[in-house]
Amino acid sequence: MKTEMPLSKPIRRFLNTPEELLDTEISLLRQPDAEPGGTLVDIYTYDIERNVIIFPAQYVGLLKDFIIAKHCTNLMIKGAASKKGEYKVCSYTEESVYRGLRQIYLDALKDEANKKDKLPVQKLIQLLFILFSHFNEDVNELPWNTIINASVYHRMPKIRKTQLYHVMKESKNDMDEMMEQEEIIPRRYFVLNKAMFYSRDMFLAKTLPADELMPVLNIPQMKKFNHLEVKEILTTRWTHTAWYQSKVFGDNMLEIIERPLSQVNWSAEPTLDYFYDLYKIGFNLTNQLLSYMTMKDW
Amino acid sequence: MTVKEAAEFLKKGHSYAKRTKYKEALAYYNKALSLDPNNPEAWYLRASVLIDTGKSQEALADCDKAIALDQNYAPAWSKKGLAYYNLEKFEDGLYASTRAASLNGNDVTAWYIKGVCLDELNRSDEAQEAYGKSLELEIILDIEAERKKIGR
Repeated sequence: MKTEMPLSKPIRRFLNTPEELLDTEISLLRQPDAEPGGTLVDIYTYDIERNVIIFPAQYVGLLKDFIIAKHCTNLMIKGAASKKGEYKVCSYTEESVYRGLRQIYLDALKDEANKKDKLPVQKLIQLLFILFSHFNEDVNELPWNTIINASVYHRMPKIRKTQLYHVMKESKNDMDEMMEQEEIIPRRYFVLNKAMFYSRDMFLAKTLPADELMPVLNIPQMKKFNHLEVKEILTTRWTHTAWYQSKVFGDNMLEIIERPLSQVNWSAEPTLDYFYDLYKIGFNLTNQLLSYMTMKDW
Repeated sequence: MTVKEAAEFLKKGHSYAKRTKYKEALAYYNKALSLDPNNPEAWYLRASVLIDTGKSQEALADCDKAIALDQNYAPAWSKKGLAYYNLEKFEDGLYASTRAASLNGNDVTAWYIKGVCLDELNRSDEAQEAYGKSLELEIILDIEAERKKIGR
């Protein structure tokens, strides 16, 4: 590990696990314009010599630690799969892009037929590309995000308050996503997008117990959540929104997610085999979600 | 005039340091210090770059110079705590970071370093308290930053 920044004891131990098990090196990089959730650039996905975890420069304490923990877990999962010769990146080909765009186009046309104000063709074409790449990114992230959060929660009890804040922030950002485009996006995609994040939030709401919230109540901006359980915080937002119908799809997705994840022993010894098993679960979840959304040809 | 020039050099140095161009930053800080060695901020800024480049022992000397110029200069105490932590002198790091946090209760890094040092000294409960304070402040700063971004 190459870093000059202070790291708490548990996070140093956390960093040692992938370095020892995968026989690899992790560098930490602080950048002013980094993504709020940080970024992992790893040797298994990219043609580089060492793994780098990038996080926002303004995160100097536990927020930084949580980002490191999250990406270390991700690295362990990818590394374990790679060591077994099984690591695959969920990507696309010329043909799959064509099939995906075609499906969105046909759905958009159906929606447009019932609209008074038609979308200009130019906008419609733009929409195809935006939606396609959007769903690719979300599908690439969502199952892993859920698994990683559950794993970090069980393995790093000392940063649970930090994790809770991250989860709530992420949830809010994901809920806001696409809101401005609600009227122009084909209904099906709007609902599916929301349903994906709904299912993740519901799973995490069940996984993160309520008592962890209490210490952050000293923060003025968090006071409005007083006396609410984590589950209530996450669910209240969803049930008070216009996209309530996402709940129906979201509940089905939650079932898909819960089935394999409820079998995981999150406190088991962190071996290569253990993380490879998590990889297989994430891999299958990705396939199942794509299949449920009838996007398996994408 | 020299003080004004020195301030200008500090500004330039800081701008390089923010972009992690430490060599250039150090050159400007050195120029600033040769013109105005009585500015604690200049010693503190150079100490920050020295820490970021792995020279914690040298950084410690710069922090001491800043503190000698102003006993209550909180950023220098905070940086000193960090330098001691890097040198694995946890008792000293704890003292410096505690001083920094008492001078500026809103210093996230000082609280965090305090927590880390306490943790290393196996004073787990006190460490959790310091971490808690550091997290509170960090979240408030993060929420404010988000608001600014939205309002931009």
